[in-house]
Amino acid sequence: MEKSERLWLGFLVLVFLVFNAITLSPLVPWQSWMVWNQPALDREVRAEFADYVVTLSPEAQAIRVGEYVQFVATSSDVTYGFGIFRQDGRMILQMQVLPGHQNRILWRFDEPGVYDVRSTEYSGPRHPETFLDDAIVVTG
Amino acid sequence: MAQIGWLEKWTLRFAVVGLVFLAMSGFEGTLMRTQQAAPQVLEPMENLLANVRAGGDELTPTHLYYGMLTVHPIVGIYGFAYMAIMGAFYYLVPKLVGKPIKHPKLIPVNFFLQAGGVFLAWATGFFGVFNSLYTLYWPLPVYYDRVPLVASVVFIIAMAVVMINILLFGFNLFSTVLSKSNPHAISFGQFLASAFGINRLRRRLGRPAPADGPEYEDLPVFIVAVGRGSIDTAINAFVILSAGVLILVYGIAALLGRPLNPASIDPLLYKNWFWWGLDMVADGNVLMYTAGTWYLLVPLLVGRKLFGESVVRTVILFDLLVSMGVWSHHLLADTTQPGILQLISGQFITFGEMFTMGLTIFAILMTIWLARPVKMTAPLLFVLGSIFGFAAGGSAGLIQANIGLNVVLHNTQWVVNPHAHVLLMVGLGNLLFGVVYALLPMLTKLEARSRTLIKVHFWCWTVGTMIMTTAMGTAGSQGMLRRMLYFGGEYHGYMVVAVIGALVAAAGFVAFLANLVYTLGLPNILSLVLPQAWVEKRWGKAPASAS
Repeated sequence: MEKSERLWLGFLVLVFLVFNAITLSPLVPWQSWMVWNQPALDREVRAEFADYVVTLSPEAQAIRVGEYVQFVATSSDVTYGFGIFRQDGRMILQMQVLPGHQNRILWRFDEPGVYDVRSTEYSGPRHPETFLDDAIVVTG
Repeated sequence: MAQIGWLEKWTLRFAVVGLVFLAMSGFEGTLMRTQQAAPQVLEPMENLLANVRAGGDELTPTHLYYGMLTVHPIVGIYGFAYMAIMGAFYYLVPKLVGKPIKHPKLIPVNFFLQAGGVFLAWATGFFGVFNSLYTLYWPLPVYYDRVPLVASVVFIIAMAVVMINILLFGFNLFSTVLSKSNPHAISFGQFLASAFGINRLRRRLGRPAPADGPEYEDLPVFIVAVGRGSIDTAINAFVILSAGVLILVYGIAALLGRPLNPASIDPLLYKNWFWWGLDMVADGNVLMYTAGTWYLLVPLLVGRKLFGESVVRTVILFDLLVSMGVWSHHLLADTTQPGILQLISGQFITFGEMFTMGLTIFAILMTIWLARPVKMTAPLLFVLGSIFGFAAGGSAGLIQANIGLNVVLHNTQWVVNPHAHVLLMVGLGNLLFGVVYALLPMLTKLEARSRTLIKVHFWCWTVGTMIMTTAMGTAGSQGMLRRMLYFGGEYHGYMVVAVIGALVAAAGFVAFLANLVYTLGLPNILSLVLPQAWVEKRWGKAPASAS
């Protein structure tokens, strides 16, 4: 291996280390509870998908800022996606919802607001219908 | 055009039909972007299609969209890319190993099965509205109230034909390399030992390599890369075939009135198996075939030995481990997937591709740099464009293959545009165009006639694609999902820019076709795929024929 190749390989190793260190660190906010800590749950919200319809348990309307909320999503037919979106369409989080599995994701909302829920995975030609307006309410 | 040989003619046929599939795929892609910009604008076309489609009046704009979305990548990858690769490799491999193709009768068989299989698969989406998307996530393909049963069965049969054909192609390539038609015949075991550097490894460990085997450095690096990529190709075809058989069993049972229970198959297990095989295309054979083609073309174009060939051979070996282990980056949003798999396979091993492609690109750029001054020929221009595409698209892929960032990027337009479409259109597309420009004089003794059209082709294709993918990727970063048809005009501005970008890229493609016609003559091109008598009758000119 020539010197120039060694230098280039060293640069690639540096990129690997820096990029992974930053993205695994709490600089990406949700990594603090997804990777580094296992905080106690404050609330559990259940989401059920069936025939292009998503239904949330009532706890979704009473979330408080800073709480650790576990979303548990199930499907009784095909694969869906559970995605939470701001009112302007920007995504907060998402996970796949596989039938026959309890699909869980932990989240902490940092600001109050009203959020929509949309399926993020294709489930058939009526896929765009799997949408729940003002599904989640987070208060200060 | 000079009289051309039998093999050259088949190579050109593969290329011409591959380009037709690229045009079809691009046309569908533009229709889908148009539909995103203005969902009602395709209504007249839908009404027309409703007359010939199964389901007719009950179909909605989403059926059209998802039918196209299902077959768009099939046509682009298994139609355009595979046809072009088959044609090029059938010409190049025998030249480089100094042996004829072992089973020449398989060449036309490969041509017709690939073209026919892809066309049939396309028809099941476009006319049959088969819509479970190319990912075929279980159990959607067997939920027959959502996907049409007959179209599902036909689609799976068509894809099975394509996969079996790919296995036949791989078999023919390996048979050719290993054939005993000259004094340098080698066995399959010797080939693998040579291709993967086993003998070199043995020597390093102080154990002598077998005296009768070929030395590692004996095989051209292009052949080593093709052999290495073909392993991924075979695994990909086998895994997709196995998933297809499963879906077919459910389909036939439903047709016989004895439906099976979809819950018998675990969707997570299925998804792991399916992505392990499917990802062999993206992270195995595409990268290896691309690297191999760079290794072959660039030294020829600049007249200098490949820089760092020893490292390159090690990279090819290392990439086998990488491509076998990266599939979990497609399951980072599956919270039921074990976290350790997501981190190791999905994130860390995926970064292995940065090392393999990074070292490959470095070797290619150093080869060009050390060969200065070099003439910027058409193939070299497109090779440089392809390097840019793989670097840009690969970087976008590393960003999304991250357990933290994937939370907000998974299934958004970011995944398919700054990553997949940049890789496939700017990276692979430019490379295959470069191969066409490089092979054209070898096959026909003719150079592409218009330098201006070459430049228009390159810049429109590359810049247009980057405009399209940047607009779509920006919309993705704003939350636009990749599998969602929006009816409320949510991302209208981005989609209009994306359509403009797509049209600019299409203009580049048209310039390429115009240059081909200008160089070869339309009758000569048509005579490759249409009956010669018909072409002669229509144009009154005897086209070139096989010698």
